Formats: sequence, C-alpha cells, structure tokens
Amino acid sequence: MSRHVKQRIVSWMALGCLLAVLCSFGMDASAQQRFPKPEFENGHTQPPTFTPAPRADFMEVVDVFVLILSLSVVTWLVLNKRSRKGVFWASIFSIFYFGFYREGCVCSVGSLQNVTLALFHTGYQIPYTVIAFFVIPLIYTLFFGRTFCAAVCPLGAIQDLVALKPYSLKSWVEKTLGLFPVVYLGLAILYAATATDFVICRYDPFIGIYRMEGSFNMLVLGAAFLLAGVFIARPYCRFFCPYGVLLNLASRVSRRHMTITPSTCIQCKLCEHSCPYGAIEKPVPAHTKEKRSGLVNNAIFLSLIIPVLILIGGYAGSLLHESLAKVNPTVRLAEQLLNEVETVDGIIPLEIEAFRSSGQSLESLYAEAAGIIQQFYIGGWILGGIVGLIFGITLARLTIYRYRKDYEPNKGRCLSCTRCMDFCPVEE
Amino acid sequence: MNKRLLLIFALILLLASLWFMLSDFFDDEPLTTTNPYEYNIDNYKIVDSSVIAWKETMNIPVTGDTIRSLGVDQQDNIYVGTFHKLLIYSKEGHLKNSFDVGGKVYSLFVNRSGKIFLGMKDHIEIWNRSGRKLQSWDALNSKSIITSIHCSDELVYVADAGNRVVYQYKPEGMLQMRIGEKDSTKGSPGFVIPSPYFDLLQGRDDELWVVNPGRHQFEAYNEKGQMISSWKKTSMQLDGFSGCCNPTHMAMLSTGDFVTSEKGIERIKIHRPDGSFAEVVAPPEAFEEGTVGLDLAVDSEDRILVLDKFKGAVRIFERK
Repeated sequence: MSRHVKQRIVSWMALGCLLAVLCSFGMDASAQQRFPKPEFENGHTQPPTFTPAPRADFMEVVDVFVLILSLSVVTWLVLNKRSRKGVFWASIFSIFYFGFYREGCVCSVGSLQNVTLALFHTGYQIPYTVIAFFVIPLIYTLFFGRTFCAAVCPLGAIQDLVALKPYSLKSWVEKTLGLFPVVYLGLAILYAATATDFVICRYDPFIGIYRMEGSFNMLVLGAAFLLAGVFIARPYCRFFCPYGVLLNLASRVSRRHMTITPSTCIQCKLCEHSCPYGAIEKPVPAHTKEKRSGLVNNAIFLSLIIPVLILIGGYAGSLLHESLAKVNPTVRLAEQLLNEVETVDGIIPLEIEAFRSSGQSLESLYAEAAGIIQQFYIGGWILGGIVGLIFGITLARLTIYRYRKDYEPNKGRCLSCTRCMDFCPVEE
Repeated sequence: MNKRLLLIFALILLLASLWFMLSDFFDDEPLTTTNPYEYNIDNYKIVDSSVIAWKETMNIPVTGDTIRSLGVDQQDNIYVGTFHKLLIYSKEGHLKNSFDVGGKVYSLFVNRSGKIFLGMKDHIEIWNRSGRKLQSWDALNSKSIITSIHCSDELVYVADAGNRVVYQYKPEGMLQMRIGEKDSTKGSPGFVIPSPYFDLLQGRDDELWVVNPGRHQFEAYNEKGQMISSWKKTSMQLDGFSGCCNPTHMAMLSTGDFVTSEKGIERIKIHRPDGSFAEVVAPPEAFEEGTVGLDLAVDSEDRILVLDKFKGAVRIFERK
C-alpha cells in the first residue's frame, strides 16, 4: 500500500471519528438548559454541583512552552526532515492540546484582538501569555514561513484533517475570496479598538467543536466549514483567517522558507497539482523586454489608480460608519433612548433598566455614543482605505511580470503543509 | 460526483457561512426583554383540578397578634399560638378562651389529658386550658428554636431546628436522649435544616416521624432513637418536594397518610405511608404568593386544619 493511500485511510478514519463527535454535539445542541434541573424517573441522581479549582498560573507558562516546542518541532519537520507524516501527527497533537484540552483558547488568531484592545485602551491588562501567543508565531513565520499554520494552529489542523478531496479553485475565485481576510482583519481590529466586540472569537467556527458545546448555529457553522473543507482545503485559513493576513505578509520576507525540491528542480511537473491551497507558482518562461512606453504608461496608471482606490475605499468605509457602530451596545442603547423606545411589548428592556439604575445621565450616554461613532468614522476611513490599497496592489501585481525558473511555493500563501514534498522525486 | 458540482456546493456552503456571520453580526438585535436567569416556577404551580380532592369548608379569622403555631385537642378544640397569646377556639370556630403566655409560641401540642405544651423558642412550658402555667422546663441553649412538639403518655418529643436535633423527654421534663444528631462515627448524616422549619409527630404505632427538610426526607425512629424507616422524594412535581427545605410541616390522618405543607411552591398535599403521592388538599392558587409556615393539624374527623399567617386565619379543609 502506498504512503499516500495509507495517509488517506488515516485521514478518513480521523474524519469518521470527528463526524461521530459532531453528531453527539448535535444532540447536545438540541437539548435545552432548563431551570429547575430536569428530574429523572430511572433513579439517576444528579451529580452534586462543584466549582472546579482555577487553572494553576504556571500552566500558562506551560502553554507558551508547548507553543514554542510545537513550532520548533514542526519547523524542523518541515525544513529539515521534510516529513509530511511528521506534520500530520503534529496536527493531531495540536488538535488535542490546543484544541480539545485548551478548548481553543488562548489562540493566536483571536489574540490579535486582545493586542488591539490593549493598544487602544490602557485600562485593559493584557496577559503576557496572550502577547506570547500573538508574537511567537509571527517571529517563527518571519524566519521559517508559515509553519504555525502547517500544524500548530488548531483551527488549521482540524481543517487539514478533513481535506480529503481538495480541488483547485480558479485563480480569480481564489483572488476574490482572498480579499475577505483583509476586510475581516480590518473589522476585527476596528471592533476590538472600539471595545465593541471580539468578532473573531464570536464567529470562530471550530470553538464549539473544541469546547464540545455551543449554540446550534455555531455548531452548524463549524460543520459547514468542515464539509466545505473536504473539497476546498482549509477554507477558513485561506478566505477568512485575519491572523493569516499578518502571517502571509511576514512569510513573504521569511528568511528560510520551505522549498518543494530539496536540491535542483528537474521540472518533472509532478508537484504541479499537489498543493490543495493553490500555493505553487509555476515556472514562467523568459519574456522579451517590454517596450519602455508601455512600462511608463503602466506606472502612471497605477500611480493614479491606487490613490483613487484608497480614497474611494476610505470614503465608502466612512459612509458605513453608522451601520458599523450600531453593533456597539452603548450606541444601540443611546439610539433606543433617543427614539424614545422605553418599552418593548410593554416590558422595560434589561439594558434600559440597567442604564437607569446606573445613575448615568442621558446627556453623558449620548456623548459617549457620539464619541464611539466618531471612532467608527475614522476607523471606516482607514479600513476602507486599506481595502482600496490592497485592491490596488492586487491590480498592480497583475501587471508586473515575474520570471520564475522552477516550481516554487508562493511564500505568502504557502501553509508549509509539506504535501508537495511527497511528490518531488528529487533526493537530497 | 462531478468535480465542478462539488466545488460549487462547497463554495455555496462558504458563502452561506459568510452570509450567516454578516447577517448575525449586523442584525438589528432587539433589546433584551426576557431574563434567561430569572427564577420562575410558575409552571410548577399549575395543578390539575382532578387531583384536588379537598375543599375549604371553614375559615376562622384570627385577629390581633401575629399567629405562629397550631394545635388541636381530643375534643377538636383548636389552639393557636401567637407572639404573646394562646387562643382557644371551638370546633365550630368560636373563641372560647385566650390568655397571655408572655412570649412567642413557636410550636404547641395538646396531649390526651388536655395539657398544653408550648415551645417558647428555647424551652417548654406546660399550661392548662384556663390559662394557668403548670410547669416550665429548663432552657436548652441560645441556639435553640423549638419548632415542633409531640407527646404520648410516656414520652415527649421536641424538635430543635437551631441545634438540628430531636430531644426525647419524659412527661415530667427529664431529658432522655438526643435523636438524629450528626455523628460521622456512627454514620448518622444528621438533619439538614437551612431554615427554621423542622416538624415531627408520632405515628399510629407510636413511632416517631421527623421531617428532614433539607433532604426532602421523612425519617421514622423507634423509642430508642434508632432510625427504622425513611422515604424521600425530591421533585418539583406534585409527587415530591423541592427547594432548600420542604416540607415545612406535616400532620397525619387516621389512615396513616401524611399531610404535608410546603413553601416556595405553596401547597398542601397528601402522601401515602409509603411516600407515594395521593392527592392535593390545597393548590398554590389557594395561597398568597410567598406564604410560608403553613402549620398543620388534623382533628378526630380527619379535617385538615391549616394555619395561614398571610391571611390571618385557620383554614379548614374537608374531603369533597
């Protein structure tokens, strides 16, 4: 039995286990918490309620240590051992340690919100562990590429496990969907900076699976991502993950990124379709020199169009600021009171009751809400401007000619999963 | 399956996920009008009328002082203890006598010879019907709250909620033993009494029945203080008891059935000697919300007497 077939069998078995677990969660999800607790006629006695002891402080250090160790091992497996099998088992470890044991928290993806909140709100005391989870994968990526994505991130690892029938996407689909993580990152930063919400955590599709509980909608969302992930490998990593945007940028300048071939590429084309993420760049033949006038025209066009796109994006973002700000609970409350919505179906909402009992004046609430809306106005400009810039850069890249001799991983998009290495017949 | 179809399916799933995330996040969420953590037991207060086998036939208003305890004698005279007085009513509800007893009557019991045993927080006083104090026993201790008394010809049992123990006395006032104390060396778990409701009575074979309210349990003891039987049923439904400490009071019908009263879900029910639910005497709707301390007594005709502090009355129930 070939190695690929064996790996596929293991993946199918793992997927089967995962689906069984998901089904059991589905049953849990349909159950409803009730108070008082349900009673049992079969003699079952409810276990006594107990308060678990808090997690020991030193365990946070252990988590950081495990993160560094995992990153080091995976980096070694990718760059030195070039072992897909090793990376696969490292993924399994991450799923169980960072996923099920640590229940997906703290995770590097969500940590960027904590860092943002700490930067904009001095009163927020960010734990050192969270800073470590944010910074360490970025540092590793700067040196070795996205080995964190390869097998350490529990969100990526669980998707990697289910990528059983991955198909390539058309380049334009890939590029269009690839813009969304930038928008998601911008929104996540905006909402964290305004202390409105941690959007990434709220819509983490796999957290319900790792915690073995969650709302029905979130479990369905997780299942949808995993199901889509069977045919479109790692959809969350590629088209949603905001932290992936930062890792993508860091990886582009990485010092020692993985290579498909251990020595000289023999152009056998065996690896051409091996990457489920479409991150392999094909060789581009030498090109005759373009006319000088054409290059100048391109440069003039881009130097004009990119600032225009930034302005259009920024203006569009600023127009959305009120809609974006409505998510903020203070703005929402102020809006309700301004519209004199004091009761809903004759009942005073809890938020209004809480506001009244706080003793805060209406004027100060309105002033606070106005301040938040102003923050969203500025944030809308910045967010829209960045999206315009990225769009402009994407356009510009289409016009730039790049000569490439061998099959190479795209350093930004490559997740260092090492699948392509197995297809390379060249030995060291 | 066709590769293109699978890809389209996967893309639709992803776009649907994106749509869900966006619509959920930017949805104009209404303000919160229901408190998911609200303590609401209204559903448990609804009782099917077919299980209510009793009806209220008489109501004796008790005016004046705050009423606390209830008793009935061999002639079915009704005794009501208040913060300062003892009131004696005829079976028909006519006030026959009332006199000052100089303290709060937490519990009372009238024995076969007509002596009135009053539980005065930390000690027992014995009075006659004409209002003369016959005896006053030694005080127990400062923690004591005497919540129930029951006498036979040979023994007097006193429930002390403060010390979580039952005392067995001779009728002359000599302390014989302490029953049911928590003792891990003897494997006795003790009585769980979170609030001052701790009732007892003697059954038809002179066995002592004690309510262990924290455990929703009825425990039977012999005269040596050994537990001989028990039953319990924890349930929000009619067939059991719920909350921190229920039932708060009990009485016994001539059939040996237990009459029980509860707080939280204010209701009076009858349980058979084996603990199984029999019928409802008075559903929660018969009482003001928050009514507590529904002391009970049963007269020779098996009428159930209920002391309703909130309505300031002794309410009498008879089988329909």
